[in-house]
Amino acid sequence: MKLQTVAPPDRGSLSIVYSCPACGYEMAMLTNAYETQAVQSLGVKIGPASSEVGGKCPFPGIVPASDEVKPGQAAESIPVRWTAAAEARLSNIPSFVRPMAKTGIERFAQERGATEVDEKILDEAKEFFGM
Amino acid sequence: MKGYHDIVGDGGSRILDQVAEQRAQIADGLAGVRHLVAIGSGKGGVGKSTLTLHLAGALRAHGLRIAILDADFNGPSQARMGGVQEALFVPGTKKVALPRTRDGIGVFSVGSMIPETAALEFESASQGEAQTWRATKEFSLLGEILRSFEWGQLDLLMFDLPPGAERTVQYADYLGPATSFVLVTIPSEVSRGVVARSVAALSKGPNRILGYVENMSGYYCRDCNGIKPLFDAPEPSQLAIPCLGTVPFDPELARRCDQGTPFAELPDTPVRRALDRVAQQLLETLS
Repeated sequence: MKLQTVAPPDRGSLSIVYSCPACGYEMAMLTNAYETQAVQSLGVKIGPASSEVGGKCPFPGIVPASDEVKPGQAAESIPVRWTAAAEARLSNIPSFVRPMAKTGIERFAQERGATEVDEKILDEAKEFFGM
Repeated sequence: MKGYHDIVGDGGSRILDQVAEQRAQIADGLAGVRHLVAIGSGKGGVGKSTLTLHLAGALRAHGLRIAILDADFNGPSQARMGGVQEALFVPGTKKVALPRTRDGIGVFSVGSMIPETAALEFESASQGEAQTWRATKEFSLLGEILRSFEWGQLDLLMFDLPPGAERTVQYADYLGPATSFVLVTIPSEVSRGVVARSVAALSKGPNRILGYVENMSGYYCRDCNGIKPLFDAPEPSQLAIPCLGTVPFDPELARRCDQGTPFAELPDTPVRRALDRVAQQLLETLS
């Protein structure tokens, strides 16, 4: 997404327009800080479902940002890959503690000489911790 | 491009539907739990967490299936006391497996993930003004935990609540009328006053108050094998709810808590027997 325009505040609301560099599809974020915070606090996803976007653009809605790698984190991250199936299971963990859980599982995998977290590693971890 | 005031409804986010779906997922996840019991007080430092774990241990020793949800997100202690400080949260195909103590009690505590030297921080879109949204974020986290973890078939799910009379009522509101409450006090007028306020506040709602436990009711002296007074308050607690029992303080028990020793491995002392009696009383009150 590319920042397109920032409209001046209109009755307490700010309009920030982003566009897709590839297809020109535009999406506006219409907000003020308190509304955004109140809605974010509910733990819901904002924006129409990807199917409702009609396939116009590859960025469907806005997902919670808690999984994003923060600046400076990437270089320190453990070089362990995740299979798609294991990654899908990871999304079951509450977003708040997901980054810490992910790091812990990667450490568990590394201690066993694995460079990839797959479902077998996850099942091993469950067994190891008596779950 | 439409402006904020041109948008009808929530712009396709279905926020109310999503919240309703979240509540349905929580109800579904707790469908196998027979009793929901919150251990609160209103007063801090009265031993809610210790009592929660020991009552869970005593009930577990009688063969019951027990789990604890450490709802004190800002001061989690169940991870250390339950010996699951190093446990991982491992995702299954649908839910996240619950870490277990050595005696098989399921424990969720953010203390398993966040080191004791780190503060709990929530991401915020608005900088500062945390007082306006922090409670909402915490309850959102509680909801996410309830619907994400594998509670399975349980006889009892115990909530270790944070201090604060108003927080106790907020948890009652959030957890719903199926959750019963046990309040913990100590033999001091200050504590009894705060707990009485919690009783008054909870009594306005539909939740059942099972009774109270007077913790630190004297201390156990190993030298004379007797119970000696700890507070200068010889009168027993007078709260307008049933007393489930009294539990003396035991320095040795506190030490073992720090080490994560399970209830089953505690020596047979008057304190352990007192905990066992309270657990039995709790069970009888529930059934």
